[in-house]
Amino acid sequence: MAMALLPVRCLRLFPLRPSQLPAPTRGLSGARGGPTPVLPLGRRLAVVTAVGGAAGGAWLYLRARKERERRERRQRELRALALGQGNFQLVDHRGRPRCKADFRGQWVLLYFGFTHCPDVCPEELEKLSRVVELLDRDAALPRVQPLFITVDPERDDVAAVGRYVRDFHPRLLGLTGSPEQVRAVSSAYRVYASAGPKDEDGDYIVDHTIIIYLLAPDGLFLDYYNRSKTADKIAESVRRHMESYEPLLD
Amino acid sequence: MSAPTMKERKACWAARDEFWRCLDRHTEDAPRCEKLRRSFESLCPQQWVKYFDKRRDFLKYKEKLESEGFQPPETAGKA
Repeated sequence: MAMALLPVRCLRLFPLRPSQLPAPTRGLSGARGGPTPVLPLGRRLAVVTAVGGAAGGAWLYLRARKERERRERRQRELRALALGQGNFQLVDHRGRPRCKADFRGQWVLLYFGFTHCPDVCPEELEKLSRVVELLDRDAALPRVQPLFITVDPERDDVAAVGRYVRDFHPRLLGLTGSPEQVRAVSSAYRVYASAGPKDEDGDYIVDHTIIIYLLAPDGLFLDYYNRSKTADKIAESVRRHMESYEPLLD
Repeated sequence: MSAPTMKERKACWAARDEFWRCLDRHTEDAPRCEKLRRSFESLCPQQWVKYFDKRRDFLKYKEKLESEGFQPPETAGKA
């Protein structure tokens, strides 16, 4: 009956009659002379599984460690870069003064632009609004705060920014301030901004870095997304950051 | 002068797109699309018209590069 349980090739290799198979308790020492009894199939499978399992486990552990080291290296690099350090003092589109500390504890998606922007800023802000919508769908994730900071403080006063952000996500907060204050926050985030020549109407276009910045709850820059990143990809990345978040600063 | 509203932006983009579609149909033969050009200019701020014209030039140039490959200018050597 036991023979029926053995695969055919085993029968060919070990053509023993059931009575000749060693009982499990005897092991390799083999009672009397003759061929050394081999471990039963069950025992062999157990050994192979144990070795395979150990190898697999080691591989998984090494892979996890490599990933941890890569993340730690990236965190050291970001800490050294320390983008967005220092406080900023701006005014939101309702006229309330806001400083950087007001956003501590929140995840922030930040975009620098200006209200007279022909196409890029509206497109990027639409994309940003879409990202926030996608993330909002998951009730388990913290709510992201979308921020718009103008690079054109001369024209974009509180009223102008208020009119502008109304067209996008309801949580989008617009920030402006004096030219000095805006310059300070732009340089803290290494944002390039350069006003072009004025025409007869006094209108001009501001050439600027087109990037959406992700800020962690500790206020530091964690990641960035350029024009080519879709809303889905950005939402996916933000979610990953939220799930694996460890504060950079102690 | 305050910035265009979302409604005004969309009207401007629509006029621009119509104008560009006309140019595509008539292979950049601008006089044929005069009416649409005037509509585009009236619905968009002057700065935007200049910006979109430059953008159009760039997109056409890019298309040319992608289909014909890069040809260095013959008058190379002039600084």
